[in-house]
Amino acid sequence: MYKSIAELVATAETQHQPISELIIQQEIESSQMSREVIWAMMAKNLEVMRAAVKRGAEGEGVHSTTGLTGGEAVKLRKYRAAGHTLSGDAMVEAIQNAIATNEVNAAMGVVCATPTAGSTGTLPGVLFILEKRLHLTEDQMVRFLFTASAFGMIVANNAMIAGAVGGCQAEVGSAAAMGAAAAVEVAGGTPEQSAEAFAIAMSNLLGLVCDPVAGLVELPCVKRNAIGATDALIAADMALAGCSNKIPADDVIGAMKSIGEEMPRSLRETGIGGLAGTPTGQAMKQRIFGDAFVTEDNPE
Amino acid sequence: MANNYKSVFEIIGPIMIGPSSSHTAGAVAIGQAAHDLFADQPTEIRVDYYESFAETHLGHGTDYAIVSGVLGFAPDDPRVPDAVEIAQKQGMTIHFVENQGPSPVNHPNTAVVRVSNAKKTIEVTGVSIGGGTIEIRALKFNGYLVKPQGPLPIVLAIPKPNQTAASIVTQLEAMTTINHQETYTNSEALPLFEFDLDRRLQRRQLEQLRAATAQLIYI
Repeated sequence: MYKSIAELVATAETQHQPISELIIQQEIESSQMSREVIWAMMAKNLEVMRAAVKRGAEGEGVHSTTGLTGGEAVKLRKYRAAGHTLSGDAMVEAIQNAIATNEVNAAMGVVCATPTAGSTGTLPGVLFILEKRLHLTEDQMVRFLFTASAFGMIVANNAMIAGAVGGCQAEVGSAAAMGAAAAVEVAGGTPEQSAEAFAIAMSNLLGLVCDPVAGLVELPCVKRNAIGATDALIAADMALAGCSNKIPADDVIGAMKSIGEEMPRSLRETGIGGLAGTPTGQAMKQRIFGDAFVTEDNPE
Repeated sequence: MANNYKSVFEIIGPIMIGPSSSHTAGAVAIGQAAHDLFADQPTEIRVDYYESFAETHLGHGTDYAIVSGVLGFAPDDPRVPDAVEIAQKQGMTIHFVENQGPSPVNHPNTAVVRVSNAKKTIEVTGVSIGGGTIEIRALKFNGYLVKPQGPLPIVLAIPKPNQTAASIVTQLEAMTTINHQETYTNSEALPLFEFDLDRRLQRRQLEQLRAATAQLIYI
Protein backbone atom coordinates (compact mmCIF):
# COMPACT_ATOMS: atom_id res chain seq x y z
CA MET A 1 0.00 0.00 0.00
CA TYR A 2 1.45 3.38 -1.03
CA LYS A 3 1.74 5.62 2.02
CA SER A 4 2.48 8.93 0.33
CA ILE A 5 2.35 10.64 -3.04
CA ALA A 6 6.14 10.99 -2.92
CA GLU A 7 6.41 7.20 -2.66
CA LEU A 8 3.90 6.69 -5.48
CA VAL A 9 5.76 9.08 -7.80
CA ALA A 10 9.20 7.66 -6.94
CA THR A 11 8.01 4.10 -7.61
CA ALA A 12 6.44 5.09 -10.92
CA GLU A 13 9.66 6.78 -12.00
CA THR A 14 12.07 4.01 -10.96
CA GLN A 15 9.88 1.28 -12.44
CA HIS A 16 9.03 3.32 -15.57
CA GLN A 17 5.36 2.50 -15.04
CA PRO A 18 2.36 4.83 -15.09
CA ILE A 19 0.68 5.35 -11.71
CA SER A 20 -2.46 3.65 -13.06
CA GLU A 21 -0.43 0.47 -13.57
CA LEU A 22 1.04 0.55 -10.05
CA ILE A 23 -2.39 0.81 -8.46
CA ILE A 24 -3.82 -1.97 -10.65
CA GLN A 25 -0.97 -4.21 -9.45
CA GLN A 26 -1.65 -3.24 -5.82
CA GLU A 27 -5.35 -4.03 -6.23
CA ILE A 28 -4.61 -7.42 -7.78
CA GLU A 29 -2.33 -8.26 -4.87
CA SER A 30 -4.60 -7.01 -2.09
CA SER A 31 -7.91 -8.31 -3.44
CA GLN A 32 -6.58 -11.55 -4.92
CA MET A 33 -8.90 -10.96 -7.86
CA SER A 34 -7.73 -11.20 -11.45
CA ARG A 35 -6.73 -8.20 -13.54
CA GLU A 36 -9.70 -8.87 -15.84
CA VAL A 37 -12.22 -8.78 -12.96
CA ILE A 38 -10.73 -5.59 -11.51
CA TRP A 39 -10.65 -3.95 -14.92
CA ALA A 40 -14.27 -4.91 -15.58
CA MET A 41 -15.34 -3.46 -12.21
CA MET A 42 -13.72 -0.12 -13.05
CA ALA A 43 -15.21 -0.18 -16.56
CA LYS A 44 -18.63 -0.63 -14.91
CA ASN A 45 -18.00 2.48 -12.79
CA LEU A 46 -17.18 4.37 -16.00
CA GLU A 47 -20.44 3.20 -17.55
CA VAL A 48 -22.46 4.46 -14.55
CA MET A 49 -20.69 7.85 -14.80
CA ARG A 50 -21.43 8.11 -18.50
CA ALA A 51 -25.10 7.30 -17.95
CA ALA A 52 -25.46 9.98 -15.24
CA VAL A 53 -23.75 12.66 -17.40
CA LYS A 54 -26.19 11.85 -20.20
CA ARG A 55 -29.32 11.54 -18.08
CA GLY A 56 -28.80 14.87 -16.29
CA ALA A 57 -28.46 16.87 -19.52
CA GLU A 58 -30.99 15.29 -21.88
CA GLY A 59 -34.60 16.34 -22.37
CA GLU A 60 -35.77 18.42 -19.42
CA GLY A 61 -33.04 17.00 -17.19
CA VAL A 62 -33.68 15.74 -13.68
CA HIS A 63 -35.10 17.53 -10.62
CA SER A 64 -34.78 16.70 -6.95
CA THR A 65 -37.92 16.07 -4.89
CA THR A 66 -37.28 19.26 -2.87
CA GLY A 67 -37.10 21.40 -6.01
CA LEU A 68 -33.84 22.98 -4.82
CA THR A 69 -31.79 21.64 -7.72
CA GLY A 70 -32.25 20.28 -11.23
CA GLY A 71 -32.56 21.32 -14.85
CA GLU A 72 -29.41 23.43 -14.92
CA ALA A 73 -27.28 20.96 -16.88
CA VAL A 74 -29.92 21.35 -19.60
CA LYS A 75 -29.61 25.16 -19.41
CA LEU A 76 -25.85 24.82 -19.87
CA ARG A 77 -26.30 22.49 -22.83
CA LYS A 78 -28.57 25.03 -24.54
CA TYR A 79 -26.23 27.90 -23.66
CA ARG A 80 -23.31 26.05 -25.25
CA ALA A 81 -25.34 25.44 -28.38
CA ALA A 82 -25.66 29.22 -28.88
CA GLY A 83 -21.86 29.34 -29.13
CA HIS A 84 -21.11 32.42 -27.03
CA THR A 85 -19.49 30.94 -23.94
CA LEU A 86 -16.95 33.11 -22.17
CA SER A 87 -14.54 30.41 -21.02
CA GLY A 88 -14.76 28.23 -24.13
CA ASP A 89 -16.94 25.26 -25.02
CA ALA A 90 -14.77 22.59 -23.39
CA MET A 91 -14.79 24.38 -20.05
CA VAL A 92 -18.55 24.89 -20.10
CA GLU A 93 -19.08 21.29 -21.17
CA ALA A 94 -16.99 20.18 -18.17
CA ILE A 95 -19.29 22.28 -15.97
CA GLN A 96 -22.36 20.80 -17.65
CA ASN A 97 -21.14 17.23 -17.09
CA ALA A 98 -20.27 17.89 -13.45
CA ILE A 99 -23.64 19.50 -12.77
CA ALA A 100 -25.58 16.83 -14.67
CA THR A 101 -23.99 14.14 -12.50
CA ASN A 102 -24.71 15.88 -9.21
CA GLU A 103 -28.27 16.71 -10.28
CA VAL A 104 -28.82 12.99 -10.86
CA ASN A 105 -27.35 12.33 -7.39
CA ALA A 106 -29.60 14.92 -5.74
CA ALA A 107 -32.61 13.38 -7.51
CA MET A 108 -31.72 10.03 -5.89
CA GLY A 109 -30.54 8.56 -9.16
CA VAL A 110 -27.69 6.09 -9.62
CA VAL A 111 -24.16 7.51 -9.45
CA CYS A 112 -20.65 6.29 -8.82
CA ALA A 113 -19.24 8.00 -5.71
CA THR A 114 -15.85 9.53 -6.63
CA PRO A 115 -14.66 9.66 -3.89
CA THR A 116 -18.01 10.64 -2.36
CA ALA A 117 -21.54 11.19 -3.65
CA GLY A 118 -21.37 14.89 -2.80
CA SER A 119 -18.31 15.20 -5.06
CA THR A 120 -19.54 12.70 -7.63
CA GLY A 121 -19.62 15.16 -10.56
CA THR A 122 -16.03 16.38 -10.40
CA LEU A 123 -14.24 13.45 -12.07
CA PRO A 124 -16.89 12.95 -14.81
CA GLY A 125 -16.69 16.71 -15.42
CA VAL A 126 -13.01 16.32 -16.23
CA LEU A 127 -13.04 12.92 -17.90
CA PHE A 128 -15.74 13.28 -20.54
CA ILE A 129 -14.34 16.45 -22.05
CA LEU A 130 -10.87 14.88 -22.14
CA GLU A 131 -12.45 11.98 -24.01
CA LYS A 132 -13.35 14.42 -26.80
CA ARG A 133 -10.29 16.65 -26.70
CA LEU A 134 -7.70 13.88 -26.47
CA HIS A 135 -9.74 11.23 -28.36
CA LEU A 136 -9.40 8.84 -25.43
CA THR A 137 -10.17 5.16 -25.84
CA GLU A 138 -12.26 3.34 -23.24
CA ASP A 139 -9.04 1.75 -21.94
CA GLN A 140 -7.48 5.16 -21.36
CA MET A 141 -10.61 6.33 -19.58
CA VAL A 142 -10.56 3.32 -17.27
CA ARG A 143 -6.88 4.05 -16.59
CA PHE A 144 -7.80 7.64 -15.72
CA LEU A 145 -10.06 6.28 -12.96
CA PHE A 146 -7.33 4.00 -11.62
CA THR A 147 -4.86 6.91 -11.47
CA ALA A 148 -7.45 9.06 -9.71
CA SER A 149 -8.11 6.28 -7.19
CA ALA A 150 -4.39 5.93 -6.39
CA PHE A 151 -4.22 9.57 -5.33
CA GLY A 152 -7.60 9.43 -3.61
CA MET A 153 -6.64 6.47 -1.49
CA ILE A 154 -3.62 8.35 -0.13
CA VAL A 155 -5.84 11.32 0.79
CA ALA A 156 -8.45 9.05 2.40
CA ASN A 157 -5.90 7.17 4.51
CA ASN A 158 -3.76 10.19 5.47
CA ALA A 159 -6.46 12.84 5.93
CA MET A 160 -10.19 12.52 5.27
CA ILE A 161 -12.74 12.51 2.44
CA ALA A 162 -15.96 13.14 4.40
CA GLY A 163 -17.47 16.63 4.58
CA ALA A 164 -18.65 15.92 8.11
CA VAL A 165 -15.04 15.32 9.15
CA GLY A 166 -13.08 17.83 7.06
CA GLY A 167 -15.46 20.10 5.13
CA CYS A 168 -15.99 20.32 1.37
CA GLN A 169 -12.23 20.66 0.81
CA ALA A 170 -12.09 16.95 1.75
CA GLU A 171 -14.73 16.02 -0.83
CA VAL A 172 -14.67 18.35 -3.84
CA GLY A 173 -11.10 19.41 -3.00
CA SER A 174 -9.94 15.79 -3.01
CA ALA A 175 -11.92 14.96 -6.15
CA ALA A 176 -10.45 17.96 -7.99
CA ALA A 177 -6.92 16.97 -6.98
CA MET A 178 -7.51 13.35 -8.05
CA GLY A 179 -8.94 14.53 -11.38
CA ALA A 180 -6.01 16.88 -11.99
CA ALA A 181 -3.44 14.13 -11.38
CA ALA A 182 -5.29 11.67 -13.63
CA ALA A 183 -5.76 14.28 -16.37
CA VAL A 184 -2.00 14.83 -16.47
CA GLU A 185 -1.27 11.11 -16.86
CA VAL A 186 -3.83 10.62 -19.60
CA ALA A 187 -2.46 13.68 -21.41
CA GLY A 188 1.03 12.17 -21.42
CA GLY A 189 2.56 14.09 -18.49
CA THR A 190 5.03 12.63 -16.01
CA PRO A 191 4.16 11.19 -12.57
CA GLU A 192 5.89 14.23 -11.05
CA GLN A 193 3.61 16.53 -13.07
CA SER A 194 0.59 14.52 -11.85
CA ALA A 195 1.71 15.20 -8.27
CA GLU A 196 2.14 18.91 -9.04
CA ALA A 197 -1.32 19.09 -10.62
CA PHE A 198 -2.73 17.34 -7.56
CA ALA A 199 -1.00 19.79 -5.23
CA ILE A 200 -2.16 22.84 -7.18
CA ALA A 201 -5.77 21.67 -7.42
CA MET A 202 -6.03 20.81 -3.73
CA SER A 203 -4.25 23.99 -2.60
CA ASN A 204 -6.81 26.01 -4.56
CA LEU A 205 -9.71 24.60 -2.56
CA LEU A 206 -8.17 24.43 0.93
CA GLY A 207 -10.52 25.75 3.59
CA LEU A 208 -13.71 25.10 1.63
CA VAL A 209 -16.48 24.43 4.16
CA CYS A 210 -19.38 21.97 3.95
CA ASP A 211 -22.52 24.07 4.46
CA PRO A 212 -25.41 22.35 2.69
CA VAL A 213 -28.81 24.03 2.91
CA ALA A 214 -31.15 21.91 5.05
CA GLY A 215 -28.34 19.34 5.22
CA LEU A 216 -29.18 18.23 1.68
CA VAL A 217 -26.54 17.38 -0.94
CA GLU A 218 -27.95 20.06 -3.27
CA LEU A 219 -27.08 23.69 -2.45
CA PRO A 220 -24.22 24.48 -2.90
CA CYS A 221 -22.91 20.94 -3.56
CA VAL A 222 -24.06 20.66 -7.19
CA LYS A 223 -22.25 23.81 -8.32
CA ARG A 224 -19.22 23.11 -6.12
CA ASN A 225 -18.59 20.21 -8.49
CA ALA A 226 -18.39 22.68 -11.36
CA ILE A 227 -15.55 24.44 -9.55
CA GLY A 228 -14.02 21.03 -8.75
CA ALA A 229 -13.94 19.97 -12.39
CA THR A 230 -12.61 23.27 -13.69
CA ASP A 231 -10.07 23.53 -10.87
CA ALA A 232 -8.79 20.09 -11.91
CA LEU A 233 -8.46 21.18 -15.53
CA ILE A 234 -6.64 24.43 -14.83
CA ALA A 235 -4.32 22.69 -12.35
CA ALA A 236 -3.53 19.98 -14.92
CA ASP A 237 -2.82 22.64 -17.55
CA MET A 238 -0.52 24.50 -15.16
CA ALA A 239 1.38 21.32 -14.27
CA LEU A 240 1.71 20.30 -17.93
CA ALA A 241 3.07 23.79 -18.66
CA GLY A 242 5.78 23.10 -16.08
CA CYS A 243 4.39 25.21 -13.21
CA SER A 244 5.09 23.99 -9.69
CA ASN A 245 2.98 24.33 -6.55
CA LYS A 246 6.22 24.69 -4.54
CA ILE A 247 4.46 23.13 -1.52
CA PRO A 248 4.53 19.39 -2.34
CA ALA A 249 1.40 17.25 -2.57
CA ASP A 250 1.92 15.35 0.71
CA ASP A 251 2.31 18.64 2.61
CA VAL A 252 -0.88 19.92 1.01
CA ILE A 253 -2.74 16.81 2.22
CA GLY A 254 -1.35 17.47 5.71
CA ALA A 255 -2.58 21.07 5.50
CA MET A 256 -6.02 19.90 4.37
CA LYS A 257 -6.17 17.53 7.35
CA SER A 258 -5.20 20.16 9.93
CA ILE A 259 -7.62 22.71 8.44
CA GLY A 260 -10.37 20.07 8.58
CA GLU A 261 -9.59 19.34 12.21
CA GLU A 262 -9.79 23.02 13.11
CA MET A 263 -13.00 23.61 11.18
CA PRO A 264 -15.97 24.28 13.47
CA ARG A 265 -18.72 21.68 13.62
CA SER A 266 -21.29 24.15 12.21
CA LEU A 267 -19.34 24.12 8.92
CA ARG A 268 -18.92 20.35 8.65
CA GLU A 269 -22.09 18.98 7.06
CA THR A 270 -24.44 19.87 9.88
CA GLY A 271 -26.61 22.22 7.82
CA ILE A 272 -26.11 24.90 10.50
CA GLY A 273 -23.51 27.46 9.36
CA GLY A 274 -22.43 29.10 6.11
CA LEU A 275 -25.01 29.16 3.30
CA ALA A 276 -27.25 26.83 5.31
CA GLY A 277 -27.43 29.44 8.07
CA THR A 278 -28.48 32.34 5.83
CA PRO A 279 -32.07 33.63 6.11
CA THR A 280 -32.83 32.11 2.69
CA GLY A 281 -31.20 28.81 3.61
CA GLN A 282 -33.13 28.62 6.88
CA ALA A 283 -36.41 29.44 5.09
CA MET A 284 -35.77 26.63 2.59
CA LYS A 285 -35.12 24.21 5.44
CA GLN A 286 -38.39 25.23 7.16
CA ARG A 287 -40.33 24.85 3.89
CA ILE A 288 -38.91 21.38 3.21
CA PHE A 289 -38.96 19.81 6.65
CA GLY A 290 -41.30 22.04 8.65
CA ASP A 291 -41.42 20.93 12.25
CA ALA A 292 -40.41 17.34 11.49
CA PHE A 293 -36.80 18.42 11.44
CA VAL A 294 -36.74 19.62 15.04
CA THR A 295 -38.66 16.68 16.48
CA GLU A 296 -36.37 14.77 18.83
CA ASP A 297 -38.03 11.41 18.76
CA ASN A 298 -39.69 10.76 15.46
CA PRO A 299 -41.40 7.37 15.48
CA GLU A 300 -42.03 7.43 11.74
CA MET B 1 -1.38 6.71 8.44
CA ALA B 2 -4.72 5.00 8.99
CA ASN B 3 -5.46 2.09 6.76
CA ASN B 4 -9.21 2.29 6.46
CA TYR B 5 -9.39 2.42 2.68
CA LYS B 6 -8.00 -0.79 1.27
CA SER B 7 -9.39 -0.93 -2.26
CA VAL B 8 -9.56 1.42 -5.25
CA PHE B 9 -13.28 0.68 -5.35
CA GLU B 10 -13.77 2.44 -2.03
CA ILE B 11 -12.45 5.59 -3.75
CA ILE B 12 -14.00 5.15 -7.21
CA GLY B 13 -17.31 3.69 -6.07
CA PRO B 14 -19.55 2.45 -4.72
CA ILE B 15 -22.19 2.64 -7.40
CA MET B 16 -25.10 3.87 -5.34
CA ILE B 17 -28.46 5.62 -5.16
CA GLY B 18 -27.84 9.28 -4.17
CA PRO B 19 -27.62 11.63 -2.45
CA SER B 20 -24.77 11.05 0.08
CA SER B 21 -22.04 8.45 0.25
CA SER B 22 -21.43 8.88 3.97
CA HIS B 23 -25.05 9.45 4.99
CA THR B 24 -26.70 7.08 2.48
CA ALA B 25 -24.28 4.40 1.15
CA GLY B 26 -22.30 4.33 4.43
CA ALA B 27 -25.56 4.15 6.37
CA VAL B 28 -26.59 1.10 4.29
CA ALA B 29 -23.28 -0.49 5.30
CA ILE B 30 -23.89 0.17 9.02
CA GLY B 31 -27.36 -1.39 8.67
CA GLN B 32 -25.77 -4.30 6.82
CA ALA B 33 -23.45 -4.93 9.79
CA ALA B 34 -26.54 -5.12 12.04
CA HIS B 35 -28.14 -7.48 9.49
CA ASP B 36 -25.08 -9.77 9.54
CA LEU B 37 -24.91 -9.77 13.34
CA PHE B 38 -28.66 -10.31 13.86
CA ALA B 39 -29.12 -13.01 11.21
CA ASP B 40 -32.86 -13.38 11.87
CA GLN B 41 -36.18 -11.64 11.09
CA PRO B 42 -36.41 -8.47 13.23
CA THR B 43 -39.60 -7.05 14.75
CA GLU B 44 -38.10 -3.78 15.97
CA ILE B 45 -35.36 -1.42 14.78
CA ARG B 46 -34.20 1.60 16.78
CA VAL B 47 -31.61 3.99 15.36
CA ASP B 48 -29.89 6.59 17.54
CA TYR B 49 -28.25 9.39 15.56
CA TYR B 50 -25.50 11.72 16.75
CA GLU B 51 -23.96 14.99 15.46
CA SER B 52 -24.05 15.32 11.62
CA PHE B 53 -26.25 12.23 11.37
CA ALA B 54 -28.68 13.71 13.92
CA GLU B 55 -28.80 17.06 12.09
CA THR B 56 -29.11 15.82 8.51
CA HIS B 57 -30.51 12.27 8.42
CA LEU B 58 -33.84 13.37 6.92
CA GLY B 59 -32.27 15.21 4.00
CA HIS B 60 -29.81 12.47 3.22
CA GLY B 61 -32.17 9.53 3.30
CA THR B 62 -30.18 8.04 6.18
CA ASP B 63 -33.35 6.51 7.66
CA TYR B 64 -34.22 4.36 4.67
CA ALA B 65 -30.53 3.67 4.06
CA ILE B 66 -29.96 2.12 7.49
CA VAL B 67 -33.20 0.14 7.27
CA SER B 68 -32.14 -1.07 3.78
CA GLY B 69 -28.95 -2.45 5.28
CA VAL B 70 -30.83 -4.14 8.11
CA LEU B 71 -33.07 -5.75 5.45
CA GLY B 72 -29.94 -6.88 3.56
CA PHE B 73 -30.26 -4.59 0.49
CA ALA B 74 -27.14 -3.45 -1.43
CA PRO B 75 -26.46 0.33 -1.75
CA ASP B 76 -27.59 0.36 -5.41
CA ASP B 77 -30.74 -1.72 -4.84
CA PRO B 78 -33.69 0.19 -6.35
CA ARG B 79 -35.76 -0.69 -3.24
CA VAL B 80 -33.45 1.43 -1.02
CA PRO B 81 -35.68 4.58 -0.97
CA ASP B 82 -38.74 2.46 0.01
CA ALA B 83 -37.02 0.40 2.72
CA VAL B 84 -38.85 1.95 5.70
CA GLU B 85 -42.27 1.16 4.17
CA ILE B 86 -41.09 -2.33 3.17
CA ALA B 87 -39.93 -3.02 6.75
CA GLN B 88 -43.18 -1.68 8.21
CA LYS B 89 -45.19 -3.90 5.85
CA GLN B 90 -43.19 -6.84 7.21
CA GLY B 91 -44.50 -5.87 10.66
CA MET B 92 -41.42 -4.10 12.02
CA THR B 93 -41.64 -1.14 14.38
CA ILE B 94 -39.02 1.50 13.59
CA HIS B 95 -37.77 4.40 15.74
CA PHE B 96 -35.32 7.13 14.76
CA VAL B 97 -33.89 9.22 17.58
CA GLU B 98 -31.95 12.48 17.14
CA ASN B 99 -29.59 12.81 20.10
CA GLN B 100 -28.42 16.30 21.01
CA GLY B 101 -25.19 15.39 22.77
CA PRO B 102 -21.82 14.40 21.34
CA SER B 103 -21.24 11.02 19.73
CA PRO B 104 -20.40 8.33 22.31
CA VAL B 105 -17.52 7.27 20.05
CA ASN B 106 -16.35 10.77 19.09
CA HIS B 107 -17.26 10.80 15.38
CA PRO B 108 -19.64 13.22 13.61
CA ASN B 109 -21.37 10.50 11.59
CA THR B 110 -22.43 8.09 14.32
CA ALA B 111 -25.42 5.75 14.36
CA VAL B 112 -26.26 3.19 17.02
CA VAL B 113 -28.56 0.55 15.52
CA ARG B 114 -30.51 -1.75 17.82
CA VAL B 115 -32.35 -4.66 16.23
CA SER B 116 -34.58 -7.03 18.15
CA ASN B 117 -37.28 -9.69 18.07
CA ALA B 118 -38.85 -11.88 20.76
CA LYS B 119 -35.70 -14.01 20.96
CA LYS B 120 -32.83 -11.54 20.98
CA THR B 121 -31.50 -7.99 20.78
CA ILE B 122 -28.28 -6.81 19.18
CA GLU B 123 -26.70 -3.36 18.97
CA VAL B 124 -24.16 -2.01 16.48
CA THR B 125 -22.33 1.32 16.87
CA GLY B 126 -21.15 2.38 13.42
CA VAL B 127 -19.45 5.50 12.08
CA SER B 128 -19.46 6.55 8.44
CA ILE B 129 -16.04 7.90 7.55
CA GLY B 130 -16.69 9.01 3.95
CA GLY B 131 -17.18 7.64 0.45
CA GLY B 132 -19.41 4.83 1.74
CA THR B 133 -16.71 3.31 3.95
CA ILE B 134 -17.54 2.67 7.61
CA GLU B 135 -15.98 1.66 10.91
CA ILE B 136 -17.65 -0.48 13.56
CA ARG B 137 -16.82 0.75 17.05
CA ALA B 138 -19.02 -1.49 19.24
CA LEU B 139 -21.12 -4.64 18.93
CA LYS B 140 -23.48 -5.87 21.67
CA PHE B 141 -25.02 -9.30 21.33
CA ASN B 142 -25.56 -12.49 23.27
CA GLY B 143 -24.03 -11.02 26.45
CA TYR B 144 -20.87 -9.85 24.65
CA LEU B 145 -19.65 -6.27 24.29
CA VAL B 146 -17.06 -6.25 21.51
CA LYS B 147 -15.11 -3.06 20.79
CA PRO B 148 -13.23 -3.43 17.50
CA GLN B 149 -10.63 -0.90 16.42
CA GLY B 150 -12.99 0.18 13.63
CA PRO B 151 -11.90 -0.74 10.11
CA LEU B 152 -13.57 -3.70 8.39
CA PRO B 153 -13.38 -6.61 7.83
CA ILE B 154 -13.97 -8.01 11.30
CA VAL B 155 -14.25 -11.70 12.16
CA LEU B 156 -15.97 -12.75 15.40
CA ALA B 157 -15.42 -16.41 16.17
CA ILE B 158 -17.15 -18.35 18.92
CA PRO B 159 -14.88 -21.37 19.39
CA LYS B 160 -15.81 -25.00 19.65
CA PRO B 161 -15.28 -26.47 23.17
CA ASN B 162 -11.56 -26.35 24.08
CA GLN B 163 -10.65 -24.66 20.79
CA THR B 164 -7.94 -22.03 21.25
CA ALA B 165 -7.48 -18.71 19.52
CA ALA B 166 -4.13 -19.97 18.22
CA SER B 167 -5.74 -22.55 15.93
CA ILE B 168 -7.93 -19.86 14.33
CA VAL B 169 -4.96 -17.49 14.08
CA THR B 170 -3.02 -20.09 12.09
CA GLN B 171 -5.90 -20.46 9.65
CA LEU B 172 -6.43 -16.70 9.30
CA GLU B 173 -2.75 -15.95 8.83
CA ALA B 174 -2.70 -18.27 5.85
CA MET B 175 -5.40 -16.07 4.31
CA THR B 176 -4.44 -12.50 5.24
CA THR B 177 -2.78 -10.32 7.91
CA ILE B 178 -4.42 -9.94 11.33
CA ASN B 179 -4.19 -6.26 12.29
CA HIS B 180 -5.62 -6.68 15.77
CA GLN B 181 -6.89 -9.47 17.94
CA GLU B 182 -8.84 -9.57 21.19
CA THR B 183 -10.53 -12.17 23.39
CA TYR B 184 -13.86 -11.43 25.08
CA THR B 185 -16.09 -13.39 27.44
CA ASN B 186 -19.84 -12.90 27.73
CA SER B 187 -22.11 -12.82 30.77
CA GLU B 188 -22.04 -16.63 30.84
CA ALA B 189 -18.22 -16.66 30.71
CA LEU B 190 -18.16 -18.10 27.18
CA PRO B 191 -15.22 -16.92 25.06
CA LEU B 192 -15.26 -15.05 21.75
CA PHE B 193 -12.29 -14.16 19.57
CA GLU B 194 -12.27 -10.95 17.54
CA PHE B 195 -9.92 -10.45 14.61
CA ASP B 196 -9.58 -7.22 12.61
CA LEU B 197 -8.25 -8.23 9.20
CA ASP B 198 -6.21 -6.48 6.54
CA ARG B 199 -8.43 -7.46 3.62
CA ARG B 200 -11.74 -9.08 2.78
CA LEU B 201 -11.95 -12.84 2.72
CA GLN B 202 -13.13 -14.91 -0.19
CA ARG B 203 -16.27 -17.00 0.13
CA ARG B 204 -14.32 -20.26 0.17
CA GLN B 205 -12.06 -18.97 2.96
CA LEU B 206 -15.11 -17.97 5.00
CA GLU B 207 -16.60 -21.43 4.56
CA GLN B 208 -13.37 -22.99 5.85
CA LEU B 209 -13.45 -20.80 8.94
CA ARG B 210 -17.14 -21.39 9.51
CA ALA B 211 -16.62 -25.13 9.46
CA ALA B 212 -13.75 -24.84 11.95
CA THR B 213 -15.62 -22.81 14.61
CA ALA B 214 -18.88 -23.12 16.58
CA GLN B 215 -20.18 -19.82 15.19
CA LEU B 216 -18.66 -17.24 12.89
CA ILE B 217 -19.78 -13.66 12.29
CA TYR B 218 -18.14 -11.76 9.45
CA ILE B 219 -18.66 -8.02 9.02
